[in-house]
Amino acid sequence: MDANEQKSDRPTEVRFAASTTSVDAIQRAAYRFGDRFSVELLPGVDEHICILRSRDDADLDEETENFRVEVLDQTLRVRIRKETEPIRTMILAKAFSRTGVVDPQDLD
Amino acid sequence: MSRFRGAEAFAASGDDWQLLPFRFERLNGRVLVTNMVGEHLVLSGEDFEVLATGELPADSDLVRRLRAKQVIKRSGERAPLSLLALKARTRHARLAESTGLHIFVVSLRCEHSCPYCQVSRQSEDRDRYDMTLATAERGLDMTFRSPSRSLKIEFQGGEPLLNFGLIEEVVRQAEVRNRDEGRDLGFVIASNLALLSDEVLDFCARHNIHISTSLDGPADLHNRNRPRPGRDSWERAVDGIRRVRETLGVDHISALMTTTKRSLDRVRDIIDTYVDLGLRGIFLRPLSPYGFAIKTKSYSAYDAERWIDFYREGLGYILELNRQGLDLTEYFSTVILRKMLTNVEPGYVDLMSPAGIGIGALVYNYDGSVYASDEGRMLAEMGDETFRLGHLEVDTYESIMTSEALLAPLEESFALSAPMCSDCAFETYCGSDPVYHYATSGDFLGRKSESDFCRRNMAIFKHLIDLYENDEFARRTFLSWAGR
Amino acid sequence: MISLRGRASDFGPGQHLDRAVWMVVDRDRLTPQRHGRAYKLRDCEEAPPGFGLYLVDDARFAPRDGAWIALPPLLRYVAAGDVISASESGEHVRVLWRAGSPNNSVLLTERCDHYCLMCSQPPKERDDDWLLDNAAELIRLLPTSTPGIGFTGGEPTIYGERLIELLRLCRNLLPDAGVHVLSNGRRFANFGFARSWASVDNPRMMVGIPLYGAEPALHDYVVQSEGAFEDTVRGIVNLGEVGQRIEIRVVIHQQTAPALPEIAEYIARNLPFVEQVALMGLEMMGFARANVKDVWIDPLDYQPELREAVSLLALRRVRTMIYNHQLCLLDRELWPFAVRSISDWKNEYHAECTDCSARDRCGGFFFSAKYKVSESIRAIPAAETQAPALLSLGR
Ligand code: SF4
Ligand code: SF4
Repeated sequence: MDANEQKSDRPTEVRFAASTTSVDAIQRAAYRFGDRFSVELLPGVDEHICILRSRDDADLDEETENFRVEVLDQTLRVRIRKETEPIRTMILAKAFSRTGVVDPQDLD
Repeated sequence: MSRFRGAEAFAASGDDWQLLPFRFERLNGRVLVTNMVGEHLVLSGEDFEVLATGELPADSDLVRRLRAKQVIKRSGERAPLSLLALKARTRHARLAESTGLHIFVVSLRCEHSCPYCQVSRQSEDRDRYDMTLATAERGLDMTFRSPSRSLKIEFQGGEPLLNFGLIEEVVRQAEVRNRDEGRDLGFVIASNLALLSDEVLDFCARHNIHISTSLDGPADLHNRNRPRPGRDSWERAVDGIRRVRETLGVDHISALMTTTKRSLDRVRDIIDTYVDLGLRGIFLRPLSPYGFAIKTKSYSAYDAERWIDFYREGLGYILELNRQGLDLTEYFSTVILRKMLTNVEPGYVDLMSPAGIGIGALVYNYDGSVYASDEGRMLAEMGDETFRLGHLEVDTYESIMTSEALLAPLEESFALSAPMCSDCAFETYCGSDPVYHYATSGDFLGRKSESDFCRRNMAIFKHLIDLYENDEFARRTFLSWAGR
Repeated sequence: MISLRGRASDFGPGQHLDRAVWMVVDRDRLTPQRHGRAYKLRDCEEAPPGFGLYLVDDARFAPRDGAWIALPPLLRYVAAGDVISASESGEHVRVLWRAGSPNNSVLLTERCDHYCLMCSQPPKERDDDWLLDNAAELIRLLPTSTPGIGFTGGEPTIYGERLIELLRLCRNLLPDAGVHVLSNGRRFANFGFARSWASVDNPRMMVGIPLYGAEPALHDYVVQSEGAFEDTVRGIVNLGEVGQRIEIRVVIHQQTAPALPEIAEYIARNLPFVEQVALMGLEMMGFARANVKDVWIDPLDYQPELREAVSLLALRRVRTMIYNHQLCLLDRELWPFAVRSISDWKNEYHAECTDCSARDRCGGFFFSAKYKVSESIRAIPAAETQAPALLSLGR
């Protein structure tokens, strides 16, 4: 079909506001879709611009939407990781410390 | 009037929630959330929004569920931290304690000529392709140098029964050594059973040896996969299985199948064959990408998708049989379910991170070379020595375990720091399998978005969670598999 | 129902007993021991000399010499091997131990830092340390071969180290006895106390700790105390760290029933090191009556949750038991988990039970079931007790 031919070689542009979306999140999202399309990322002060190029005839219209959702999810993942990193480190330290999982406060 | 306070009085106030580390994955509109140690819960899209935006209400079903699964806590609470630490420690301790598997390739010779097997030789040249006693003894030295409390020695080939004399000697010597060591010692012979004699059976019975054999399914499938003079591989295997069941006991025999293109639409026939033989479980095994299979391009014919369908259909059929009262376990799912539903680390080499190579298994080849895994040895037979860790004549346990050939893949493949895996909700169920990724993509890590390993595992994880959440019978069956 | 305390119908005028706790002996179980022994006289029997106390059923047969108590009619069952305590004058009598009962449990205090919605033994805030002293005396009097003893409260751990001393005494004097202590577990959040507990070093000792939720809000509400869940869970973890045997008890009522699967999942994942989990039917006593609106639930109505909870635990190899349930209200599949546990003195049957073929295996009723019981109690026809369970829960 006509449409089929078009979608394989026409790159699509997606923009993200730099104030809410980090380059890191975009890169992580891009990595996840590596088998379906490639992402060229042009970081900017106000906006990050992504150029999506299809591999293997993936339907870019549909993929663009998936990519947007994924970038949002990755932004959330980055946030969760940042917010929980200290607690994570603390739990692991506790797990492998010599006193074991007992709270130091409780050792009287 | 009452001296009692209502439930509201004990509900937490809404603004001091702290997130605990968690990961998520969208599943058709719903969202899977896993906590730091891999306990899961499935939330509706709306509930997940509430969690994501951080505007959690004071008390609600959602808050209860999130607290129960240690996804959130109040700032003063310490119990959730202790519990997460305890679970992380338990898992890790089991990992460190996991059975050390020591594989002795006692002979490379084999009387079969299977097309996907790249290691065996059809040769009468014993001197060239059999392990010598001196090499085996060095292998035993190394086995007993490993710290695990339980040691499993597995004899492989080629066809190991072609060098049965050596097996007897290794078993005897290992038992003598173990009198002082007191480890939990076990033996397995991986054989096609074509050469199973009463003498072998008798020896196995006396030394409590387990037999693991190959069974690809019904006769036509099996015999096409495994040509041997007389075209009777299946008949011999089946006869062998019957005899092992009766002389050693049902729990001393297990069968492993090799999945080929021809297997893919015969999963029911394959399972029926296993059931008919009275085997208690089956391992719906992914097709191996190694060695001959890659050379002949027979691997590329299988895309991950077709295998996943094969697995889904097989698992569905196994559950159906269980529903009818048969006790039949699918072992690949069981490995994953144990990680999903318990704090036990099953120590299955392909699904471990850090990778199970070296720690989970060492392979002593017939010629004395040491490999990080059986697959690593197969690659070597094809001329790629990447996973060769050293040689029994010149290396010590320490030099093997600190060799670059082991540490580099371990480090580079570590899932917790790998792109995609580090954020993956399934990371604790999964593994890093550097040998696989090396074989398929040339580096230890592999790009997970393009990796069939990842695609296949993710599909299985999602499928298992879907069944667990929505089908009471499957849930119970899964719990009982995990609890074994 | 058997009474465990009463007022003497008569007692020696002006007497002062020199101790509170007495082991009962009689003509058939005569022993050369006199210390702490009370001799139970038959009617018209001549009193053998040398006992510090005599018990009679009828004051007319009181001995001429020595201190005596005439038991009230409801306590006349007291027999050799039983242990009683008496007030100094002999007027008030309690039965501490019944040799014929397999489940003797000893009340150590009525004080408690919880105020559970369904508490069958509502706490009293008054000094009752003498109960602990009596328990120690009881232990000293019991035969060395005593097979088991339970301690309850109130909250026994309020005694701290004094409880530990009692348990040590128990280990030393009753080496064969399984020792079961009921506690809300909070004090073990203090690791020092958990270690003290472990130092008793009795492999036959187990602590039973209730858990009413998989998160704080529900548990704290049920026990009416903020921070309880946090302490109890940390206490259980600490006990696990020092290798102690733990039983988790979940009383099923209107508040906890819907959360049963969550609680089971929580235990299976977080506390799999516990030895067993007891899922208990509600006893309609004490506060349970005051809060009947908030706690009563017909067991028939929570069978799906109970089934799910049992599979989540038992299939993962956590030993699971169902206590205090009538079989006719219990899903057929759960029967193998039901334990006949109601202490004999509360075990009374419904009219339906007369023709029931499951009567021998049935958990029976608490005495308090008179107050409220499910409408669905139905005799089970013989054919049905044989019917196999549809799905096996791993037993
Ligand atoms: S390989 Fe795939 S499924 Fe496994 S942890 Fe990595 S991203 Fe997740
Ligand atoms: S009728 Fe009575 S004896 Fe029978 S199961 Fe019900 S409560 Fe038990």
